[in-house]
Amino acid sequence: MKKRLIALLIASTMVVSLAACGQDDNPGSPSSGSGEDVQQSQASTPESVPDSTPEGSAPETPEAPAEISGFGEAPMLADLVGAGSLPAVEDRLPVADDVYVEQTDATGAPLEIGTYGGVINLLGAGGSWGLSRPVMESIIHFNSDGTYYPNVIKSFEHNDDYTVWTFDLREGMKWSDGDDFNADDITFWYYMCHLTNYDTKKSWPALKETVDGEDAWATLEKVDDYTVTWTFVNPKFPADFIENGDFKWCWAPSHYLLDMIPDSIYVENPYWEKTGLDDEQVLLNAQAKGIDAATVNDLGKAIAYYWWNEDGIPCLNSYVLSTKEGNNSRDAQLCILERNPYFWKVDAQGQQLPYCDEIHFNATSEDGQDQLMFRSGELDIIGVLMQDISSLLSDLGDQAQLRTFAGTDWGSYQITFNYTCAEANYAELFANSKFRQAMSICVDREQVSGLLSEGFLEPGQCAPAEGNFGYDAEWETKWTEYDVDGAKALLEECGLVMGSDGFYDFADGTDFILTIYTYTDSGADAAYPVLEQYYNKAGIKCATKDIEVSAFDTEIDNNNWYAVLGPHTPIGGVSLKSRVQPFVPIAQSAEWYGEYGTYYGTNGAQGVAPEGDMAKLVEIYEKWNATPDTAERDQYTLELYDVHKENLWTIAYLKAAGNYNLVSSKIKNHPDLLVWDDLYQYQNLVHYWTLFKTE
Amino acid sequence: MEANAYKSENMHENIPKKTLLEAVKDFFKKDLVQYIVKRLLMFIPTLLLISVLVFFVIQLPPGDYVSAHIAALASEGEIVDADYAASLRADYGLDLPIHEQYFKWIKDIIWTPTDSTYYRLYGSHHNWKYSFAYGRDVWDVVDDRLGLTIAVTAIIMLFQYVVSLPIAVYASTHQYSVGDYISSVIGFLGAAIPNFILAIVLMYLSYKWTGNANVGLFSQEMLQNGIHLYNFGEFLKRMIIPIIVIGTSGTCGIIRSVRAQMLDEVGRQYTLTARAKGVPERTIVMKYCFRAAINPTVSGLGGVLSSLFSGSTVTAMVLNMQIQGPVLFKALQAQDMYLAGAIVMVQAVLVVIGILFSDIALAFLDPRIRYSGGGR
Repeated sequence: MKKRLIALLIASTMVVSLAACGQDDNPGSPSSGSGEDVQQSQASTPESVPDSTPEGSAPETPEAPAEISGFGEAPMLADLVGAGSLPAVEDRLPVADDVYVEQTDATGAPLEIGTYGGVINLLGAGGSWGLSRPVMESIIHFNSDGTYYPNVIKSFEHNDDYTVWTFDLREGMKWSDGDDFNADDITFWYYMCHLTNYDTKKSWPALKETVDGEDAWATLEKVDDYTVTWTFVNPKFPADFIENGDFKWCWAPSHYLLDMIPDSIYVENPYWEKTGLDDEQVLLNAQAKGIDAATVNDLGKAIAYYWWNEDGIPCLNSYVLSTKEGNNSRDAQLCILERNPYFWKVDAQGQQLPYCDEIHFNATSEDGQDQLMFRSGELDIIGVLMQDISSLLSDLGDQAQLRTFAGTDWGSYQITFNYTCAEANYAELFANSKFRQAMSICVDREQVSGLLSEGFLEPGQCAPAEGNFGYDAEWETKWTEYDVDGAKALLEECGLVMGSDGFYDFADGTDFILTIYTYTDSGADAAYPVLEQYYNKAGIKCATKDIEVSAFDTEIDNNNWYAVLGPHTPIGGVSLKSRVQPFVPIAQSAEWYGEYGTYYGTNGAQGVAPEGDMAKLVEIYEKWNATPDTAERDQYTLELYDVHKENLWTIAYLKAAGNYNLVSSKIKNHPDLLVWDDLYQYQNLVHYWTLFKTE
Repeated sequence: MEANAYKSENMHENIPKKTLLEAVKDFFKKDLVQYIVKRLLMFIPTLLLISVLVFFVIQLPPGDYVSAHIAALASEGEIVDADYAASLRADYGLDLPIHEQYFKWIKDIIWTPTDSTYYRLYGSHHNWKYSFAYGRDVWDVVDDRLGLTIAVTAIIMLFQYVVSLPIAVYASTHQYSVGDYISSVIGFLGAAIPNFILAIVLMYLSYKWTGNANVGLFSQEMLQNGIHLYNFGEFLKRMIIPIIVIGTSGTCGIIRSVRAQMLDEVGRQYTLTARAKGVPERTIVMKYCFRAAINPTVSGLGGVLSSLFSGSTVTAMVLNMQIQGPVLFKALQAQDMYLAGAIVMVQAVLVVIGILFSDIALAFLDPRIRYSGGGR
């Protein structure tokens, strides 16, 4: 079983890497011929968009393939149409040319034509994003190889100098309540929800720039009902705009939300006037719509940011939160998403998606209940740990299928150090790469693999995993050879001296104790005792402090720490375009750069100004940010990775873990070999609207 | 023989008979009313003291809701800027000194004026504040599960008493019989096995035997359509495991304690005297011994109201039951102090009321108990 898993993992990473390597030469990898393929074939890596489209235009929306002569719909909707309570399917979809035809999954494999009906049973939705991840329809969609294509919008394009971006919308597209979706919903979102900071996300980098040293925001113009433009003063390159992982949507249902926008947040704009409502009135209006908020700030975040968690708010997703009392909250024991009768995607035969009637989120209160419920058929898809896969599969036989998501973290069991530690002797020691090398080679990774992952995770280093951009076999094995004596020699070269107690002290005779922070439930608290024995063997005296995550974050923010095992923001991710923060010290975010990040995050007002290689990372990032050229960007990314490889500010002991879904055999069209990353919205790559269920 | 029988009957008749109504009237004529008033007045300082403790203990862990919330968002991949955290703290008053936060909290619970936004929104003078974790009014969150919690716990308690008391009486009157041994063994097992383990074992057996683990109190169908007559059987089926798990440990405890007390009472002088005077055995056991033997059980009723409100937290989590206990757990984890505070406060109030009730019930059961001092 273990071999099979490893084989799967390797296969998945190979597929991803092959796809990534081959896409420029063979952009039509998914398939070819139909309208949808036009869209997918023109989809390109973020880096290749400008090159492949000299005029700056990006892929057009797909046209319905010629063979689609009419549109089909779910029987439950046909009944409603028959009863006169719902318009005909043709009137619910965008105009025929703008209908989105879904023919391949996120890996490019062709989709099976499905049948309507049934319920997909999932585990409880959990956090704020739980209900959105499976069904979110965003501005663009990524394939698992990093290529992308316009999704909600029909197409996007930019002018030659990247200062004006144009979005074309799908004519006739409708909100889930049947109201028209058009450019007004975009101006409403931007001027009434976003620039007012009502959604608390005015900090989104995609729409923000710096002009004359000050923060400035794009100007949005409505050209016509189905066209808008975003205008910037400086060039706004794709990676910072359309590809930016945060910029998932730019619309809100003005017809539904307008009476919940108070005058107190209003900013002057050419499209929307003040609503004339005070704070209390909007809270009352919200309450009348079943939205409970204590303050206007809460309300703004609920309706303009986490809108999928409030029932009644129209959306463009395939499934909509039920309005039925008891099933209409993500905290409910059974939370239900219902089919959006106005969903704007169809399959290759013109059948309106989604196939299944509902998605059910079944809350559980303890680990393990999900497996019991999966076994008894109450759940259709569950996430499983590597260690549990073989026993589950052997028990369930052909009732279940395994689906793999490759991970993008740079190794697991990461340990990092406070390079801006307030105590100079510690800061100096951590800054010495020989110390980090000693911390790395003093651990027997083979043994650790057995002890912590039952041998499932192989020894590795803090480096991009195989299949990811920048993979480097040499880097992955750097400082991984187990050598206690070598580690001791390195510690002595760092100026530490062996004390009478068998542990190293600082040269001035003061005790050296490495206090390692972990946070509860990170898994690192369990790993610490294993690693501690190796550190002790090498003469490093250490202690651990396991604290609740919010207290842990406070300690990091206050620069009151020495080392962290299992950092809250681990280094890794699919690439710089997903999130920069894990790789470059530009915000108060990841532990490994601590106060250096605060320095950039606060424009130098707080924190510590970085020097040397730490500063070099920011310099390279700034160059990366200043060019739209794909090859150049890749070059800069590799340069940046080289700095990481050289320094290894964070050490990892094992390779990164993947994610695994156990899927009931009744569920069809669930792709395999996907990638688990924030940029792709994790399980969003499954495309739940294409799943169907057989009995 | 005949004379004896006559004598016994006569003796029994000689014991003054009172109707229940008379007994209750007589009971309340005593100093009890005064006692109750005194106890009710004591509620006020007691509850204030409890509220101080609750508020400060909940605040003890480092960080606050906002830091817990931001940590949760960060683990979902969202990056939150410091301004947002500061504005949240200001909105919720978390930036105020802790004593000010406390006074504001308690003041709003006791009385929120008519001209406040809260009153206009919710039409209530008691503002228990907003649950951060659930994004709703605290009382709404509590109210959501209150009915079910009370129903489930009441059924379980009923089960406990209905099962345990007859067994205890049987075991004590048939000491060292086979039945006594069986009940003792079951009693020890039930008391010794932690509930959550029993829950896991039963869920496993349920899955093995029926193909369904019966996780949770409701089927999906019930969660959508509610409980009706047609699916009530399914609901009862799903209640079996919780009743066995939560019910048995309590049942076993009651059996052990009532049996021991009964054995004590059965050997007392007054029992011997009654028996010697020919009072029927059933009357001796039920009217005299049993009444005295359930004294400790009744004393324990003080906590019953409170547990009716909260249910059994750990077992509820293992069994995925939608009752109050797990809500408190989630509130504490998320540092949702107003929700946690409200639940703990209501529990405290119920404990105080419960103890009062059990004291009154004890006096009713045992006429020797008096409430005013003076050594009467």
